[in-house]
Amino acid sequence: MQTKLAFGLLAALVLVLGGCGKKAEAPTPASNPAPTTTAAPAGVTVGAITLGNALGANKKVTSAADSFAKNDTIYASVDTTGAGTAALKAKWTYQKGGKETLVKEDTQTIAPSGPATSEFHVSKPDGWPTGDYRVEVFVADKSAGTKTFSVK
Amino acid sequence: MSEDMPDFSNVQSGSSSTATKIYEVVSGDSLSKIAKREYGNASEWKRIYEANQDIVKDPDKIFPGQMLKIPSL
Repeated sequence: MQTKLAFGLLAALVLVLGGCGKKAEAPTPASNPAPTTTAAPAGVTVGAITLGNALGANKKVTSAADSFAKNDTIYASVDTTGAGTAALKAKWTYQKGGKETLVKEDTQTIAPSGPATSEFHVSKPDGWPTGDYRVEVFVADKSAGTKTFSVK
Repeated sequence: MSEDMPDFSNVQSGSSSTATKIYEVVSGDSLSKIAKREYGNASEWKRIYEANQDIVKDPDKIFPGQMLKIPSL
C-alpha cells in the first residue's frame, strides 16, 4: 500500500515537473489597438472680432468702434489661435426691417503657425447708407462669430 | 434685391493677415499682379517669388491652381 502510494505520488510529481518544463506559449500580443485618443486636428480657432475705422501694423484696429461715419473704411480685425491652414470668410450684410442684404463677402486662406490677426475691410466710395449692419466671420464655412454695427 | 434696399454693388473690400496667406493662382495672374493686389505694390513680387521657390522655378511662369504662400509684410 505504501509502495503504491509512493509510486502514485512520484507519478504525480513527474507530471507536475513535466508540466513545468513545457515552454510557455508566447504571449499573445495584446490586441489592444493603439490608443484611440486621436489628436484633435490642428485647427485655427477664432477669438476676438473687433471693428474699427483704422488699422495698425499688427492688423488690429487702433480703436474699437461699433458706430461709423458714412465715409469710413470699416475694418474687422479677427484674432485666431492654432496652426494649420484655414479659410477665413467675412460676410458683411445690411439689416433693415428684419431683412438683410449682402454688402460684400471676402475670403482669405491663412496658414498661421500660432496666434495671428487677420483683417477684412470694406469701403463705399459714395458713402455708406445709414442703418444697421452685421459682419459674420466663418472658418471653413462654419460661423465663428458675429459683430453688429451701425452707420450714422 | 428688394427695392427698398440700398445698392452695395460698388463696395470695395480687401483683407490681410499677420499669418502667411495662401493664394490660388488663376488664369492671367503674374507675380507682380498678385503683389499689387496683396501688398498694393507690384514691385513686391520678389517677396512672393522667394517664399515660393520650392514650387516656382521661373518667376515668369506660374500656373492656375498653384497655391502660393503670400508672406505678411
